[in-house]
Amino acid sequence: MKIVDGMTLSAEHRALLRPCELLTDPCGGIHRLPRWFYEVESWQAAKAMRVTANFMLAELSTVDCREADLLVRQLPHYVPCTLTVLGRYLQEFRLRAEAPVYVSVNGGYRSPAHKLTPQYATPHHWGTAADIYRVGDTWLESQKTIERYARIAESIGPEVHVKPFGHGPGETDDHLHFDLGFVTLVPHGCSEL
Amino acid sequence: MADSLEERLRARISDIQGEFRLEAIGVAVHDYERGRHFAHNADRWFHAASTFKAAILLAVFNAAEKRLLRLDDQLHVRNRFHSIVDGSIYRIDGDRDGDPATHRRIGRSMKIADLAHAMITRSSNLATNLLIDYVGVGAIREMLSKAGVQGMRIVRGVEDHVAFQKGISNETTANALVQLFRLLCEGEFLTEFSRQQVRDIFLAQEFKSMLPARLPPHVRVAHKTGEISTHWHDAGIVNFPDRKPYVVALLTQGAPSVDQPQRAVAALSEAVFEAVTT
Repeated sequence: MKIVDGMTLSAEHRALLRPCELLTDPCGGIHRLPRWFYEVESWQAAKAMRVTANFMLAELSTVDCREADLLVRQLPHYVPCTLTVLGRYLQEFRLRAEAPVYVSVNGGYRSPAHKLTPQYATPHHWGTAADIYRVGDTWLESQKTIERYARIAESIGPEVHVKPFGHGPGETDDHLHFDLGFVTLVPHGCSEL
Repeated sequence: MADSLEERLRARISDIQGEFRLEAIGVAVHDYERGRHFAHNADRWFHAASTFKAAILLAVFNAAEKRLLRLDDQLHVRNRFHSIVDGSIYRIDGDRDGDPATHRRIGRSMKIADLAHAMITRSSNLATNLLIDYVGVGAIREMLSKAGVQGMRIVRGVEDHVAFQKGISNETTANALVQLFRLLCEGEFLTEFSRQQVRDIFLAQEFKSMLPARLPPHVRVAHKTGEISTHWHDAGIVNFPDRKPYVVALLTQGAPSVDQPQRAVAALSEAVFEAVTT
């Protein structure tokens, strides 16, 4: 896939993707949004692009109509290069869970312009988070199932963060939120200056 | 409708109320062929049950015409809603919902047009709440107000049990439902293109045990049903090949022990049909 410097995109795209801009998370932490993106020529290309053995790029970047119109309807699409890293962690999770893992719509990468989370930084804006609503035949909509798979996710390593079960902010009750924090990826050949 | 026919219809409504031991019946009819209107308790408030979904459909198409949404937009199917009372989380019970197909899409997305279709033709509660969340109760109320529909109060989504326990429910009158369906037959609230699309969705209604059940096969009924344990309603447009249509709303209320209450609504529909076409 072609790698694109977000700073060279059109003004309209930069206003929505906000490459290199600082965003504050709900705890007050400040983070710099990703700069490097894969250019995805078409939705068909995203469906055909295998990130790992069991995850396609489309599954990690599907959004609904709450995403900014330009980013949904105009080609090409842009997704952070870290999505491939997320895919590898999800592949490991799948291996440990011994079942297929399903990421919800809006549950992978979504832009800072997405209406679900426009005010604050979330790893979803970095392409390093996945909302998993189902593992095999198990729907993650109870404390028991969410916590069971949270333990499996955490067993991968300390860099994996899951949200606890609950109904309040920072908690989940109908999916497992799995993320790697605010990771950015600078591909070889790309300069940060 | 001649006065004698109107009297006979009122007598028949009274008979049906006695036969099925119903607490209340509300009927409103507008006949385009003869330009007559009939009303029986037509301004009485009833729990709207699922009839209010007709208003949601019009609000969706109104929003589409205003370019606030596109009917082919994809919407995330998520079974998680907030009570209007205290913000607590609730979910639609998949075993009780009339539309398992929408529940099978949880986690994925559906087109707004397909959600709208499921909301009407299979009375999907999940699709309804998703559309209410997306369009907004405020926008739905504004649509009713701008369209001049009086006698319908929409306050919440389906299965908000906390609200129900506090007596907060969507309510309607028979006159309001007739006003709503008349928007699909006349006026300029929606373009004719949208009106035809909306009428087609109502024509595809799969629940046919009430309004159309005892009507002759040559009529086509575009309608929306509504049932909870104590209310059984149906409202819509009765179309003929050789005559202008009539719009009708049939609202009934009774004890949960009423035997086969859908038959009461079907009998009411038949009585209205005979009065209108005689």
